[in-house]
Amino acid sequence: MDVALLFALVIGLMLIGVPIAVSLGLSSILFLLAFSDTSLASIAQSFYQAMAGHYTLLAIPFFILASSFMSTGGVAKRIIRFSIACVGHLRGGLAIAGVFACMLFAALSGSSPATVVAIGSIVIAAMRQAGYTKDFAAGVIANAGTLGILIPPSIVMVVYASATDVSVGRMFLAGVIPGIMAGVMLMITIYIMAGIKGMPKGEWHGWGEIWAAFKDAFWGLMLIVIIMVGIYGIPGITGAIFTPTEAAAVASVYAFLVAVFVYRDMGPLATPEGERNHTLLEKPWALVTALVHPDTKKTLFEAGKLTITLMFIIANALILKHVLTDEQIPQQIASAMLAAGLGPVMFLVIVNVILLIGGQFMEPSGLLVIVAPLVFPIAIELGIDPIHLGIIMVVNMEIGMITPPVGLNLFVTSGVAGMPMMRVVKAALPFLAVLFVFLILVTYVPWISTFLPTALMGPEIITN
Amino acid sequence: MSGQTYKPRSGLARAINTLEETLIALILGLMTLVTFINVVLRYGFNSSFIWGLEVTLILFAWLVILGVSYCVKITAHLGVDAITNMMPAGPRRTVALISAAVCIVYGLLLFKGAWDYWAPFAALQPTEGRWFPMGFTEGVRDRAFYTTDQVPMLGIFRWLEEAINYGDTYDKLPRVIPYAVLPFGTALLLYRFIQAGIGVLNGSRASLIVSHEAEDAVEDVAAMNRGD
Amino acid sequence: ACEDGEIVVKFAHVTNTDRHPKGIAASLLQERVNDEMNGTMCMEVYPNSTLYNDDQVLEAMLQGDVQLAAPSLSKFETFTKVFRIFDLPFMFKNIDAVDAFQASDTGEAMKDSMTRRGLQGLEFWHNGMKQFSANKPLIEPTDAAGLKFRVQPSDVLVAQMEALDASPQPMAFSEVYGALQQGVVDGQENTWSNIYGQKFFEVQDGTTETNHGVLDYLVVTSVDWLDSLDPEVRDQFLTILQEVTAERNAAVGQVDMEARQAILDTGAVIRELTPEQRQAWVDAMKPVWEQFEGDVGADNIAAAQEINASM
Ligand code: NA
Ligand code: NA
Repeated sequence: MDVALLFALVIGLMLIGVPIAVSLGLSSILFLLAFSDTSLASIAQSFYQAMAGHYTLLAIPFFILASSFMSTGGVAKRIIRFSIACVGHLRGGLAIAGVFACMLFAALSGSSPATVVAIGSIVIAAMRQAGYTKDFAAGVIANAGTLGILIPPSIVMVVYASATDVSVGRMFLAGVIPGIMAGVMLMITIYIMAGIKGMPKGEWHGWGEIWAAFKDAFWGLMLIVIIMVGIYGIPGITGAIFTPTEAAAVASVYAFLVAVFVYRDMGPLATPEGERNHTLLEKPWALVTALVHPDTKKTLFEAGKLTITLMFIIANALILKHVLTDEQIPQQIASAMLAAGLGPVMFLVIVNVILLIGGQFMEPSGLLVIVAPLVFPIAIELGIDPIHLGIIMVVNMEIGMITPPVGLNLFVTSGVAGMPMMRVVKAALPFLAVLFVFLILVTYVPWISTFLPTALMGPEIITN
Repeated sequence: MSGQTYKPRSGLARAINTLEETLIALILGLMTLVTFINVVLRYGFNSSFIWGLEVTLILFAWLVILGVSYCVKITAHLGVDAITNMMPAGPRRTVALISAAVCIVYGLLLFKGAWDYWAPFAALQPTEGRWFPMGFTEGVRDRAFYTTDQVPMLGIFRWLEEAINYGDTYDKLPRVIPYAVLPFGTALLLYRFIQAGIGVLNGSRASLIVSHEAEDAVEDVAAMNRGD
Repeated sequence: ACEDGEIVVKFAHVTNTDRHPKGIAASLLQERVNDEMNGTMCMEVYPNSTLYNDDQVLEAMLQGDVQLAAPSLSKFETFTKVFRIFDLPFMFKNIDAVDAFQASDTGEAMKDSMTRRGLQGLEFWHNGMKQFSANKPLIEPTDAAGLKFRVQPSDVLVAQMEALDASPQPMAFSEVYGALQQGVVDGQENTWSNIYGQKFFEVQDGTTETNHGVLDYLVVTSVDWLDSLDPEVRDQFLTILQEVTAERNAAVGQVDMEARQAILDTGAVIRELTPEQRQAWVDAMKPVWEQFEGDVGADNIAAAQEINASM
């Protein structure tokens, strides 16, 4: 009963326009003060420890930073050129290329909105020019952008791993097959729609253009290799070099180097559009000035700002989680659900429904922080693979990102495309249906999620 | 995503704004560098700064706790505006005021909690009272001796040994230093919430959350993505 | 859930409830307190770091937000450096020597050594002796040279690895399995039950039975809370805790050996050392003692050695 009150308060505050983080935090504080003996100081402790005590979450600022360098540093536009060279000549080719570019960028970036911004800002305009409707372009990108959290690296997976103590490396591997599947399903859908509606197709520029575009995008695409080889090693040749968290930091440094010294679209070697960029030989002091260049500072600052707003929500969700744990709510819910004689199938349906509803109101990472500890013990009890559960949650979060009122990808797409949010919602609907089918598939075919991590890292061990 | 555009008006406001932005960039840059250098040290030189992990985590906490107030100032925090956007101007202003009041209450409670948590580490007294500070307690044992796990002691803080640690030397940085960000950051947060509340009251701002429908915000994001 | 009027004891720890020695002991304590002190006292256990990890739990205890915890002994080094004696390599011959030392006046005094800072040590709980594992055979101490070992963040353990010319690496416990498997770090040190429970043996070349250190816990409470209890209630509680401690500590050797056997049963390699080989490890690591003699006290070291000699 008390708990129902707590959640009602959270949602009520959110609906009147209180920031999500404050809605979560204040409700938790009031609940704690009213119903327990625990001190207010413990709230401050939770707040601080949300960052300082969660090594895994440290990957979030780093992946955000890497992705910022990638988008401001011109990696996105090179990836798009490569994608168009590959599939642009098909019917609906530019849209298919947009999905393909989102998939590639998703493999560099940990976030969905970042993927939409990086790819959408270029592709939507290009699609309009090529004769697609603005709505179709926005719908495609809003959906394909959600692959940002399914294809590794992924901030939402990092949050799930942190909340449940499963390995981040495993979660990342588990996202590979579902990510490719979802991307391919979207592409097929577009191809069919394009055939029916007679959408435009681009020109085939030949293998030469593919090769040239690939060479140009190579340094950006290398980041995928660095992340994957760095985390998993190459069997028989080298062990891994860093943990997933460190991989994110290394990716940031690499992205910085590529953006400033290789592509030179930002930093001391950049020149106005149309002019030849400086070379390092002309300005060797750039090696030092790059670190303090306004472009570098601005990218760090923008990434920092995004980290702060996201972590403020996560930290307050962790405060809510702390208060729920303190009151032993997860155990009560778990025993109630188990006493009801729930089977795995019914349980997964309930999880899907909770997340789909929650996803309407909440930012995905914050929602995961709260829901994962509630359902995780039950899932283990029912013999559901924790990695499989994680992927189900991630796919639910994807859907949450393109459904109102809180749909991060909707916000961003409406900004990028310059159209009202409700119009983006309508535009995204047909593809949303594809994601729903995909969710059902992922929920009931565990193999899709567990095959790769099990094959490469052995079966999941549950140590708790 | 971007907030309502914030433009500092006075010279001081500009200086503070630059300071905040620089600090955010600097802390994130430092976190990245420390982590990266430790990877290089481990893989290339088979060594590491044993304090690297802990320092990075402290910087992470500082980044967020110092940064939240700045994000209130520039209205960058996420919220749900679907309902409030359907309201006519009058009621919309009323709920904006209510939500500002809610934020101020949150800021007050969080600040009290932060003080109560930090004070014993600084050999100060936490406040009396469960909901509201009713003066300071007496006789709470201090935790000034409590050091971090691995962060080296810095010379500039040696004076703390005499000031709060009964003259005992610190062999590691005491926790009072990293935790100081809590009372400082939450006080700043409270101040920014109050400022935002006043802003809603005198009509200079519409709400405390990022607006997604407002024309200027859309334009702002679109401009950002064009790269200017 | 607890009833009104009962004294609530929150016990936060970081392991599971049914397989780890600490978790088993905590569950038994909970069962007995809730059974025998029903109506007076009620214990709630928060396992798996769900409420606090070992680092945060002591702060929370001083704040009055949790009443009982059992962190590993190295967590108390901040309170008093004497506790570093348990991290010193080859300080104790075996778990019986550890037990005898903890039961001696020195050990008893250690429980009371933090009262001015607000903590009261109650009972020592055993996990067991630590072993080294790595991604290559460790026979001679020189085999560890150049390898990266994950250790707990403690000055003594860092010095211990440096004495072997190995590189100590700080790392969150939850990352260790993946890091060992993927080769981010080469080795680690832990007790049999942890090596088995965390499945570290699966991703290592083998484990060398060095018994070079001890991993134990101190059940601890806040002085203020303990003082607030009625004498009878407190005595009954402490007696139950004492009995649970005796029962579980006596069984821990068996838990340890079962874990060791279970590792062997999977086909994993365990390397035993000849007395000469073991001596080489002792010679390599013992210089660490001098480094920390000032912290732990020469007399305490002497007391520990006396106990070793009597075993
Ligand atoms: Na991704
Ligand atoms: Na949503």
